Amino acid sequence: MLRLGLLARAVVGVVWVVAGCLKLPDPTENVRAVRAYRLLPEAVVPTMGHLLPIIEVVVGACLLLGLLTRLMAVISAVLLVSFIVGISWAWARGLEIECGCFGGGGPAAGASDKYPWEIARDAGLLLLAALAARRPSTPFALDNRLYSRTVPEAVR
Amino acid sequence: MAATRSGPTERTRTSERAATIRRQHAREEARRRNLWVTLGVLAVLGIVVTAGFLVQVSRDTTGQASTPPAGAVATYGVPLGKDTAPVTVTIYEDFMCPVCGDLEAATRAWLPRYAAQGKVRVIYRPVAFLNRMSNGTEYSTRAANAYAVVLDEAGPDAAATFHDLLFEHQPRENTTGLSSDHLVDLAVQAGAAESVARAGIERRTYEQWVVNGTDDASRHGGVTGTPTVAVDGKRLPALIPVELARRLRESVDSALRG
Repeated sequence: MLRLGLLARAVVGVVWVVAGCLKLPDPTENVRAVRAYRLLPEAVVPTMGHLLPIIEVVVGACLLLGLLTRLMAVISAVLLVSFIVGISWAWARGLEIECGCFGGGGPAAGASDKYPWEIARDAGLLLLAALAARRPSTPFALDNRLYSRTVPEAVR
Repeated sequence: MAATRSGPTERTRTSERAATIRRQHAREEARRRNLWVTLGVLAVLGIVVTAGFLVQVSRDTTGQASTPPAGAVATYGVPLGKDTAPVTVTIYEDFMCPVCGDLEAATRAWLPRYAAQGKVRVIYRPVAFLNRMSNGTEYSTRAANAYAVVLDEAGPDAAATFHDLLFEHQPRENTTGLSSDHLVDLAVQAGAAESVARAGIERRTYEQWVVNGTDDASRHGGVTGTPTVAVDGKRLPALIPVELARRLRESVDSALRG
């Protein structure tokens, strides 16, 4: 079970770091990608576009390092749920947009064909994030060095 | 003596109790330390996120003051054809976008002719959506800036020629795009004076105008991809280039009849 928790946080962590890094080069592109969903009010669209890639990189790095693992896994789950809601919203409204999950974004002909796969991918990651949240104690985690035990070994 | 008889058990019980209390203290101590560790890590992460956010904000110059090139229409448009033409076609394009290149090829046979005959006025809206696609050289921005430089320096006819040259020499996505020297050559070929074109292209004189025009298209025009085409303000659906070109011509012809 320890191994499974390690695998879960590693996979989710890598996906966040890659997704975030691909979005960093062009901040205006992220703002447009968020805007294309027509879900958030314009007042918060630029903030979200600028903040999201940073959060993804930081959460991903923490998961890879095993730092505040449970909290980061919970944040991951919240983000993934909101992404699933966003894509479903675009699908329901008949928007043909790239999800902008790994950079890019905006309309594309036939983009809606990818929605089911994108939702499935995010649901899979959500499952892994939930697993990492349930099993935050894993080998090779910074948490193990930073935190002292408060529960005897046998009870865990 | 009662004390000697009950002594050992009493002592054991007392030392057990003491050990339990010690363990409890140690646990509480550990809990307190852990809380401080959490708060410390959260503080560091908060600083990292805030710093990263501020860097992203500072890299996005959207909305800063920009000067449109002389000859621009409605601030961010580059015109082709007379302003007395009965039909206006607006085309949002990115010089890096291959579909835009296909649309240009599919409309080249008739759209410039319609414009020359005074039937339509085309408003080109250069946008920089695909800067990611030029290996870090921001070709979308550079090309749109050069377009503005030619418009400002040599007027709409030269700009139209330059526009067509850019699509005829369109680089593939994920290449570095045309070099500044190459852009200058094309600008001169279109009729711009070399020294002026070079200065404007190398200094990216109209970069902020491109950034703001791109934002305007996305924010107010609802345009988030290219090509986007509108006839008299009415947006055409996103179609493959050949069909989009056909639909555009039908829409223009029907607007001319009506």
